[in-house]
Amino acid sequence: MSILKVDNLCKNFGGVQAVNGLNFEINEGEIFGLIGPNGSGKSTTINVICGLYQPSEGSIFLNGKKINGFKPNQCVDMGISRTFQNIRLFGDLTVWQNLWVAWKDDRKNQGSWFSNWFGKSESREKLISELLSFSGLETRANDLASNLSFGEQRRLELARAVASKPKLIFLDEPAAGMNKEEVKELRDRIFRLRDLGITIFLVEHVMDLVMNVSNRITVLNFGKAISEGDPESVQNDKAVQEAYFGQ
Amino acid sequence: MNIEFIDIVQALIDGILYGSTYALIGLGFTLIFGAMEKLNMAYAASSIGGAYVGLGVSVLLSLPLYAIFLIGPIGGGLLSVLVYICCFRYLPSNNHLAALMASIGGLFFIDEIISHETDGSPLDFPELGIFSEAYFEIEFSDMFLGFRGDLIFVMFASFLAMLMLMYLLYRTRLGLATRAVSQQPIAAQLCGISIHQTNSVTFILAGVLGGIAGCLAAASVGVISPLLVLPLTVKGLVVTVIGGLGSIRGAIIAGLLVGGLESVFLLLRGVNERDIYVFLLLFVFLVFRPNGFFGAEIDRD
Amino acid sequence: MDYYLGVFQTIGVHTLLGLSAYILLLTGQVSMAQIGFFAIGAYSSGVLTVIFSWNIYPALAFGALLASFFAFLVGFPALRVKGLMLVIATIAFSEIVRLITFNFVWMVEKDGIMVGAEGAQGFREIRYFTTNGWDSSQVVLLIWIFVAIVMAMLWWLDRVKAGAVLRAVGNDELAAQSSGINLTTVKVAAMTAGGFIAGLGGGLYAHAVSYVDHITFTILMATFAISYPILGGTKNVFGTLLAVIFIQGILIEAFRFLEDWRLIIFGLLIILVMNFMPDGLVSIFKKSNPGKGN
Ligand SMILES: Nc1ncnc2c1ncn2[C@@H]1O[C@H](COP(=O)(O)OP(=O)(O)OP(=O)(O)O)[C@@H](O)[C@H]1O
Ligand SMILES: [Mg+2]
Repeated sequence: MSILKVDNLCKNFGGVQAVNGLNFEINEGEIFGLIGPNGSGKSTTINVICGLYQPSEGSIFLNGKKINGFKPNQCVDMGISRTFQNIRLFGDLTVWQNLWVAWKDDRKNQGSWFSNWFGKSESREKLISELLSFSGLETRANDLASNLSFGEQRRLELARAVASKPKLIFLDEPAAGMNKEEVKELRDRIFRLRDLGITIFLVEHVMDLVMNVSNRITVLNFGKAISEGDPESVQNDKAVQEAYFGQ
Repeated sequence: MNIEFIDIVQALIDGILYGSTYALIGLGFTLIFGAMEKLNMAYAASSIGGAYVGLGVSVLLSLPLYAIFLIGPIGGGLLSVLVYICCFRYLPSNNHLAALMASIGGLFFIDEIISHETDGSPLDFPELGIFSEAYFEIEFSDMFLGFRGDLIFVMFASFLAMLMLMYLLYRTRLGLATRAVSQQPIAAQLCGISIHQTNSVTFILAGVLGGIAGCLAAASVGVISPLLVLPLTVKGLVVTVIGGLGSIRGAIIAGLLVGGLESVFLLLRGVNERDIYVFLLLFVFLVFRPNGFFGAEIDRD
Repeated sequence: MDYYLGVFQTIGVHTLLGLSAYILLLTGQVSMAQIGFFAIGAYSSGVLTVIFSWNIYPALAFGALLASFFAFLVGFPALRVKGLMLVIATIAFSEIVRLITFNFVWMVEKDGIMVGAEGAQGFREIRYFTTNGWDSSQVVLLIWIFVAIVMAMLWWLDRVKAGAVLRAVGNDELAAQSSGINLTTVKVAAMTAGGFIAGLGGGLYAHAVSYVDHITFTILMATFAISYPILGGTKNVFGTLLAVIFIQGILIEAFRFLEDWRLIIFGLLIILVMNFMPDGLVSIFKKSNPGKGN
């Protein structure tokens, strides 16, 4: 069953056609890769779907519901969350607080308005400590986010995106700047999220990672999809090689 | 009191003529905003300060009266560049709010120095000689509309200043550099244009305009007082927002509009309430047209 | 003795004013509207005790609520604008309120004399405390009890999710929004809370000094209000208190002999701090790049 469907999505900035008539559909529970050369419109695609920008044209359906023009927080309420290409944490807050801000209770045992904003809740403590161990930040819970190392910041941002209990998560180059070991850890985390039933949309330049984890991949060039399919067929596609390495 | 239509038209005319000084102030704010994307809250203070400098120097050296109108703008330019050095030059360029706070500090600094030096009381400012006595009347389908000579002079001088500014901005290398810096600061730097130099020039130009506006405003009222500073600051900001931050033609049109409406509000509601309506106008724009007449469609941070 | 009580009174009231700006600064909003809310609290509670002979506590509460209601209203148009535009809009708001107090006349005859607000003459004889036998030390105590309550509440706020959310919005609006935070709710709530605190301060001030007029509510006071949390930093509420003690207690009171040079120094002080510690004191000013969203 498809969780996200994007239909003729376009986004232009002044004269720049960052995304130009993009179509794709993501099935529930899969890992969907989006790759493409620099400036091909990958981040813009995420930003438009997650409500940072209004699409210039086209429509976005989440579980069959049109979510065009939703604000970012409304998208989170609908079960979408994301990380940013340039990490954007709350630097003046501790690791714990970063997760706390994004944390949302389950629909069913949702506490009162007051306890959400001002109170304590066991399910919250539990979720946040789970997230801390998920991201290997148990020992840093009370440190300021701005004092974390680069790798730790990446992990925290991923954990923060999970804290809102999303159904679909967008990762914008989560492996950028990581060494081999870290990429491996990241891969394990991505698999764990998938095993929890979270659908994953992965934008990545580290081919090793995308090719290994993705069920399907779409390749973007100048805002247009030039190839799509399973990792192998995409890898062997002439058009893709041309886009990446030139003629 | 019975206010007729003709009174309103007459008020509008007086106000629009006087509003050309607001247009100048709005232009100054906008020039600086255009160059640095920053607000110079001390701008109106340095403008009135310029007029004080003109008055002070002329009186001290017993120069003829018209010297005020030469020294005033120079004083405005100097104060303005001083504000640049103290409140903008050494602050981190991406920190808009720090510069804003610093220039608010500059505003009080200049304002309080003026108050201190003059004991806070208003000084007589020379009127505009023969222009003050002149008065024209035209008949317009059996209505008589009057034009005060001094206000016509104010309008004329303001527009002359604006034309000179346009010439500088659009016809000289200096203007080219200024516009290059405001549009592409990094690229401009790579082409060998010094940002600090062009910013200084922008502040001087704005300060000269402000000095002219300060002198003209004071001359048409006949007094100058530190009490002019804050209202002029707020009105300049209102003009800048209504015109659209960074828009030159917007600032001119908005200046005339605010001048005209202010004068009508004065007629209808009296001097004590006038400014309430002027400032409310700002909220009307913020709600219905937050980018002003000609503002760019972007969020300013 | 009375002199020192007066100083404590001023510091207390200004602390409330500074804290009302502090809570907005946490969300990254620089508001010059606090003095407008202060004025609303001062005038409305004054009208209630003087003209309607209310008890002081409901009058203070009403003043604070009315101020927070206006803050709530201002919050919405102000939301559409950020940073510099917000500063302009809130300056305009405070000036509108000041001009309204300048024109505000509401006088009634009481015991043979006219009392109430008299336009440009100001609002005299707000004498609840003296007619009810309070002495000045009790008034100062009352003010400081409120200061303590507000400081404790803000301290507590930093220990619950709401406080973290305020700071998150101040750190990075976009990331906060992308973490599911509704900016409108948070910013309007902060504005409303700030309005309440400022309104409370205004009510206390009017009754403590028994006389207010439009000159009390100029942009200078708005600048004081915002400069306390900026100078004191937003790490915790005590920074604001220290800044008030420094500016009102030391610069304005201890240096009384400097007369009007004090305000000149105040201007210079802001310039110097901004030049040498543009974000040392004010981490909140360290804005992330608003341009690209990736
Ligand atoms: N806010 C914006 N305003 C103007 N142009 C933009 C904006 N955001 C992106 N662009 C432009 O849109 C195009 C696509 O950018 P985008 O960031 O989506 O690329 P990308 O595929 O994520 O590249 P990278 O691999 O470098 O992250 C680029 O040409 C970029 O300059
Ligand atoms: Mg990108």
